[in-house]
Amino acid sequence: MTGTAAIEAAALGKRFGRRGGWALRDCAFRLPAGRVCAVVGPNGAGKSTLLALAAGLLAPSEGEITVLGGRPGAARERVSYVAQDKPLYPQLTVAETLRMGADLNTDRWDASVAERVVADGDLNPKSNIRALSGGQRTRVALALALAKRPELLLLDEPMADLDPLARHQMMGLLMAQAAESGTTIVMSSHVLAELEDSCDHLLLVDGGQVRIAGEIDELLAAHRRVSAPADTVLDAHTVVESRTTGRQLTALIRPLAPLAADWQTGTPTLEELVLSYLRNPQAPTTKTPETVA
Amino acid sequence: MVEYRIDRHSGVATYVQIVQQTKQALRLGMLEPGDKLPTAREVVEATAINPNTVLKAYRELEREGLVEARRGLGTFVRKGLSTTPADSPLRLELDDWAERAREAGLGRDDIAALFTAVLEKHFQGEPS
Amino acid sequence: MTALAPSPALTSRPARSPHLLRWLIRLHRPALLAWIAFVLVVGGLLLWVGGPLTDASAEAWKQYNACGADGCSYDVKAIGRYKDWYNYTTIAVIAAPFLVTAWSGAALVSRELESGTAQLAWTQAVSPARWLAAKLAVPAVLIAVGSGLLAGLHHWAWSTGQGRIDTVKGWHDLGTYAANGTATAAMALAGLVSGVFWGLYKREPYSALFGSLMSTGLLWSLVAIATPHLWPSVSKVSSLTHSVPAGSGIVVDQGLVTSTGKHLSGHLCGSTTYGHCKTVYAKLDAVGYYNDYHPQSHYWPLQLTSTAIILAVTAALTVASFSLLKRRTGSAPARKAAAV
Repeated sequence: MTGTAAIEAAALGKRFGRRGGWALRDCAFRLPAGRVCAVVGPNGAGKSTLLALAAGLLAPSEGEITVLGGRPGAARERVSYVAQDKPLYPQLTVAETLRMGADLNTDRWDASVAERVVADGDLNPKSNIRALSGGQRTRVALALALAKRPELLLLDEPMADLDPLARHQMMGLLMAQAAESGTTIVMSSHVLAELEDSCDHLLLVDGGQVRIAGEIDELLAAHRRVSAPADTVLDAHTVVESRTTGRQLTALIRPLAPLAADWQTGTPTLEELVLSYLRNPQAPTTKTPETVA
Repeated sequence: MVEYRIDRHSGVATYVQIVQQTKQALRLGMLEPGDKLPTAREVVEATAINPNTVLKAYRELEREGLVEARRGLGTFVRKGLSTTPADSPLRLELDDWAERAREAGLGRDDIAALFTAVLEKHFQGEPS
Repeated sequence: MTALAPSPALTSRPARSPHLLRWLIRLHRPALLAWIAFVLVVGGLLLWVGGPLTDASAEAWKQYNACGADGCSYDVKAIGRYKDWYNYTTIAVIAAPFLVTAWSGAALVSRELESGTAQLAWTQAVSPARWLAAKLAVPAVLIAVGSGLLAGLHHWAWSTGQGRIDTVKGWHDLGTYAANGTATAAMALAGLVSGVFWGLYKREPYSALFGSLMSTGLLWSLVAIATPHLWPSVSKVSSLTHSVPAGSGIVVDQGLVTSTGKHLSGHLCGSTTYGHCKTVYAKLDAVGYYNDYHPQSHYWPLQLTSTAIILAVTAALTVASFSLLKRRTGSAPARKAAAV
């Protein structure tokens, strides 16, 4: 548990309306600074709510969330957030939108970054936001987010509107930002493949809970895919998923003791890991040590 | 300068792909001692992979003594693997051989299979 | 690798604060221009009504009053034109709070909350409370100045006709009173804040528009109904030989005084010169009229009291708006002074 945390949550919960259902409940995790974190989970799992809480746009209904060491709202200048539908003022031009960024931010604002991001996308600064395509809006929204030179960048489904080429460019841009400034980036998506190569940290949100938190490498190393005879007893280990087909048992486990030599074992892929947890809501929560809040 | 191409579906870990492609460039003489590897920023901007993956690959290359990191300057090639530069006699002979094999009616896969079989015979048990 | 080193410490001098004013003006430029145009046009019309139109109408009345029994010519059109344009401009001045509340309800904050651009602003270096303070303060200044100017010009245009035009509206005429003073400008501010409140509450333009128009209309009506009771009235007793009780102004209550001094509200019939009314009054044992009313000297006490009430409601709505926003976003309490 070294280094500062970009986000830390304890018993965090949020429900909408007094009698509404809980969008998020009992969330506890810690995201160390400098990571590129994928927030994955099915639609409606609570990913957007979690990001909005971190951005200081929503107040928690219970529990606590700390961002860059303080209240989410207190770190406003150092946090950028891009919402899922990339809201921008339709009546402004691209150039006016960037000027808004300069007006609404402080000394941290770097106009040259914003201009470069927009120019790379062949966007005419005089175009109206209203006339832009989804991908172009995303680019303008990212330009606003990056020119703030944030320490923490929160992106809700950032790639959803982009074609494959733009997606690759945009992800390259984000990775360059992470490499250059050590920015912590948190990106949500319900498509894991979109984020797999770019992220080194994972938060699996499912049913309003954080079910996996940790470094992807460590998470993969902590799990084994096992094939063994059907009568094998796995009680010594934490079992995420187990299925018996004929005389064969296949399972995904977190080994707690040495594995029998006659079992066939292998390291799961990230996708296998995530799907196993999603298929088995009763499987225990997994958090690597540095992510325990 | 090398440009890395990442193949998502190869099943090979991304950092291993970078290590392999760097070694390939060293072998082919595209990288020579003193040359600078692209910065992590340059690599990730072009490939959209995680910066730590690049750093992990560079650390691996450093551990093998092929490159060294100079603080504030970047990562530089220390040692070439260029045993077979493009104009070496061995390469020219192989070139000739490939030409003859093609004239003999062998296809690309046939030639590759033949070459791999010979490699297997001579380097049995050694890791690739 | 130095590439991953954190960025060097940013400037140590105190951070520049956001330019909210510049941003607001750019964002709401069409509304700003529309408001300026409205104030200029209605203000210009009021100058025209109070100047040339009043003069022409007064002249026509002078001609009319000089006419003998055999008739003469006078400028009927000038009289009509003054009357029409006085009414139009009065309606325009009274409409200002409703125009303001419609804009504020439909466009100022509700649309931004619905489209997410409010959240965009809050994730720049501007806290929700500061955003709201700026969104209220800048329009409030412009609306207070514009509405105040219009009410002042209306008051002037009304006063130039006093004593010169026979059909000129009295100070207590409902429309004239509503368009003539400080309460008019206060009402526009209340309209602004109620639009903002409904916008925050509903987060959707149509219901916010509906809610703010309704609540502004309700406040206007309640104040109009309450006005006669906002200051102690004057009571005057007069003879039943007149057809109505004496004393003109805003009436609180009028009726008949009996021989025992009891007040019977209403029952006004007319002068005792009519036999029918004389019988009615005799049956009721009425000996005179009474009239509880506000003479013109009560104009400012009434205006200022209703202004204070409207401003108190405005302030309460402002507090409610901030606390609603705070509950939603968990942001720090607002410091209004730091707004712009």
